[in-house]
Amino acid sequence: MNNPNASPQAGPTILLVESNTIEQENFAHIALQQRWQLVICNSGIDAIHWFNKNNRADVLVIEENSSPLNGYQTADYIKTELGLILPVLISVGTDPSLQELRTMAHAEGLIKKPFIKSSTFLPIYEILQRFSKRTPAQKDFYSLNYLRDIFEGHEESVFESLELFSTSVNTELEQLNIELQDRDFNRIREIAHSIKPSFEMLENETGRSICHLLNSEAEETEMPGLINDLQLEFASITKQLTRDFPELKIGG
Amino acid sequence: MKKILVVEDNPMVIKSLEFKLTKDGHQVLIARDGREAMKFLKQDNFDLILTDLMLPFVTGKELISYIKKNLPNTPIIVLSTSTQENIIMDAFHMGVDDFITKPFSPNELSLRVKRFLNKV
Repeated sequence: MNNPNASPQAGPTILLVESNTIEQENFAHIALQQRWQLVICNSGIDAIHWFNKNNRADVLVIEENSSPLNGYQTADYIKTELGLILPVLISVGTDPSLQELRTMAHAEGLIKKPFIKSSTFLPIYEILQRFSKRTPAQKDFYSLNYLRDIFEGHEESVFESLELFSTSVNTELEQLNIELQDRDFNRIREIAHSIKPSFEMLENETGRSICHLLNSEAEETEMPGLINDLQLEFASITKQLTRDFPELKIGG
Repeated sequence: MKKILVVEDNPMVIKSLEFKLTKDGHQVLIARDGREAMKFLKQDNFDLILTDLMLPFVTGKELISYIKKNLPNTPIIVLSTSTQENIIMDAFHMGVDDFITKPFSPNELSLRVKRFLNKV
């Protein structure tokens, strides 16, 4: 893992996952000309480690056949597991071997190899332009978009899921308090892991992030505060759900 | 009709998986922990197993190890929310066939499941 072009006045940060040293050099040459901050990783796993330790990059360019996780799987992991919002370009040879619709779910496009200025610069420039215009915002404590998608508009199942959220997460939050009193921090991490998808399914980013921290990075001393924050967030969600759907059995 | 064992403890994830997989025409059995999963595996045959890695009683690693030893032809898809990539890598090294992150994309789930069931 190295950063050949580090420079304080440089432009956007590009994380390149490429195992071929000649292609690394080709790309580094273009990056230098364009004043891109370039970080090079040899594998998707290296990239995941880098994202775990560093601030986010502006674009990820990853080779399709990276190993052991391929480019699509790495993109999936970085976006879904780490929750990072960044564009991903999959670098391919002349005949992309894995290109199916499903695999493109977590990638924004393809970029052809060998890396030469005429074909490398434009897709990166365009993707940077596209993403710089986005301003994600969440005003509500929850969204039903995901549930409606997964249940194909079957409202009864959506509402049953909301009730499940209320009862199951409430139970686990009570358990978190018990485990905190017992100082069983491993169990706290397990519970956070278990309930994280529940917040994600309601597209509640705060709950997801707190669960992520409790499950992975939080120090033991930070846990009481995080659990308290998670309970407050849960209370806000259920309060809004109760207001929006008074007929449901929602209650913290 | 293909038979799928889902090993998962989050009730919302269970409900969504059950809905989607049943809708796709599969028979779905749910085990809420590793111990229950082991019981099902000893009693029945499955065409595909979807499993979480952090499970009560019997860990996901132990479960995968058991399946690889006793049911080596049964494909396994890991249901992951793990933030520890090493855990997923361990699972791959143990021979799991794929992973899908929770909450999953409905179409992606269908396609991945279909892909493995077509190989059975």
